[in-house]
Amino acid sequence: MSKDFDRCMWPLLADNLPERSGKIAAIDSNRRATYAELVAEAGRVADRLSAQGVGRGDRVIVHLRKGIDEVAAMFGAWKIGAVVVNVNTRWTAQQLAYVAGDCRARAVILSRAAMKGLTGASTLAPGTVFMVQGEAAGPAQGAAPRVGLSPAADAAPDEISPHDLAMIIYTSGSTGAPKGVMLSHRNIRIGAISVAEYLKLTEDDRLLSVLPYSFDAGLNQLTTMMLVGGTIVHQPLTMPAEVMRMAQAEGVTGIAGVPPLWNQIVRMLADSPMALPDLRLVTNTGGKIPPNILDLMPRVFPGVEIYLMYGLTEAFRSTYLAPERFERKKGSIGQQIPNARIFAIAHGKGIAGPGEQGELVHAGPLVSMGYWERPELTAQKMRPCPELAHLIGAEPVVYSGDLVRVDEDGDLWFVSRMDEMIKTLGFRLSPTEVEDALSQSGLVTDVVAFGVEDDDHGQVVHAAVTYLPEASASGLAVHCARAMPHYMRPQRIHAWDGPMPRTASGKLDRPAIIAATKVATNSMQ
Amino acid sequence: MDLTRDDLISYLREEQNIDDPIEGGTELFSSGLLDSVSMVGLITFIEERTGSVISAADVTLENFDTVDRILDHVAGLD
Repeated sequence: MSKDFDRCMWPLLADNLPERSGKIAAIDSNRRATYAELVAEAGRVADRLSAQGVGRGDRVIVHLRKGIDEVAAMFGAWKIGAVVVNVNTRWTAQQLAYVAGDCRARAVILSRAAMKGLTGASTLAPGTVFMVQGEAAGPAQGAAPRVGLSPAADAAPDEISPHDLAMIIYTSGSTGAPKGVMLSHRNIRIGAISVAEYLKLTEDDRLLSVLPYSFDAGLNQLTTMMLVGGTIVHQPLTMPAEVMRMAQAEGVTGIAGVPPLWNQIVRMLADSPMALPDLRLVTNTGGKIPPNILDLMPRVFPGVEIYLMYGLTEAFRSTYLAPERFERKKGSIGQQIPNARIFAIAHGKGIAGPGEQGELVHAGPLVSMGYWERPELTAQKMRPCPELAHLIGAEPVVYSGDLVRVDEDGDLWFVSRMDEMIKTLGFRLSPTEVEDALSQSGLVTDVVAFGVEDDDHGQVVHAAVTYLPEASASGLAVHCARAMPHYMRPQRIHAWDGPMPRTASGKLDRPAIIAATKVATNSMQ
Repeated sequence: MDLTRDDLISYLREEQNIDDPIEGGTELFSSGLLDSVSMVGLITFIEERTGSVISAADVTLENFDTVDRILDHVAGLD
């Protein structure tokens, strides 16, 4: 694999030729594509975009279900130097229209069904180029549009700088409209190189892709496989039984997930074990797995390396806990990944040492280009860190907004989002601590704890939980009284009917869950 | 309680907003007509209607991808 940082996204795929022309690059449930076929398919997308006048720097929305078509669309756009904006198919037509307007998309690649939704208030700007999946799959109809294409089309990749904008990842924050994080070709490539290095990925690996490509952690399964010449196996469905059936059938060597998915998969495998002889590693990102599920993981994945990771979209990927430390440190997010510099900063004091807490900040070449057309927000989130001036000068770092604890080995433990810390009875309490303690009861699946303003106590702890079928509220109350110190016990536990809502990336949608719980509480009072 | 074909189809039309015609063999999930999140709602609906608990290991395309398969699977539950 090429460890050259200064290359673009198109060669990430195309460099696999001619050596791996006949090797399977990507697998869908109903078809497979070799590297040569994937390069050709992406090339056709590139030609069609060029023929419609789409070029370098233009934003191209890719809004397709997980699969080979989606990969070809993304690399096709990258081939001509366009900027990929992958909008998850779980987002509504209205959200898609918002993103298209915000990034002033020049082209949208989507399914016929999604196209039908773009009417009324969700109509896109006149002049937007549409490419509908499965239609006119060959080069653009008619030869005329190729005018002015060659030789520029083939020369284009050389003109694209690795420092150019490659992708905008939109994240829906807890408040306000979705905002776009800008990643350069270099950011994404170094992300792939860094992750492939610590996961020790090789061309023999076959990673399962369940997480969406619109999510930085999901994109990494694809980019690492293209970097090392491995195989990506697509599973658009997140039903645990289907995820694991596909993993088994295709002999995948690695699976990347987020906590709600691992929660379901691990529980299922604990009840119905499954032989997975080819599986070498599993990874988690996007939050903390409940402790009772972490305990089960080595049992349901015997001999499999378990990596706990942490990343910020604004800096792509940040830390990981090496699998050999899992047993002793499970729950920790470990230390900086290769090519990242991660610090915990006690504001106004300095770098947090062992036993101390601080805000996680990220420096180095993975730091993104900021937010699309939001300079004030960029300046607020990415700025020089006075506590690090003696080490890195005025180089901007990403302020994560996440509070972490540093242990005696320098490993980091996620404490809380800084704005979610609960201040109750003079204690500063992390919702994660409350959630972990409630999960330890073994009576609940999804758990979200939060602070509610209270005249007497500053804040009081509330929690929303989804009970397991056999569990009861009184059983959980007994557990709380036995296992939790008084200040940590939720004053109210709200029973949530069924699984809690997820974001498009599969993480628990905490702001939505907290808001819905508060509304339900207020309407009862 | 029983789950009838009409109940199931009207649930899919009204609650899951499927506009396309639904036949007994229409693939719901593998076709992308519904996503995995819709599955959660569908399972809850079936559990409420039938009073059965469906285990995660049984939530497969083989059992739930079409109206016919869902009705067959539900008929086999206790």
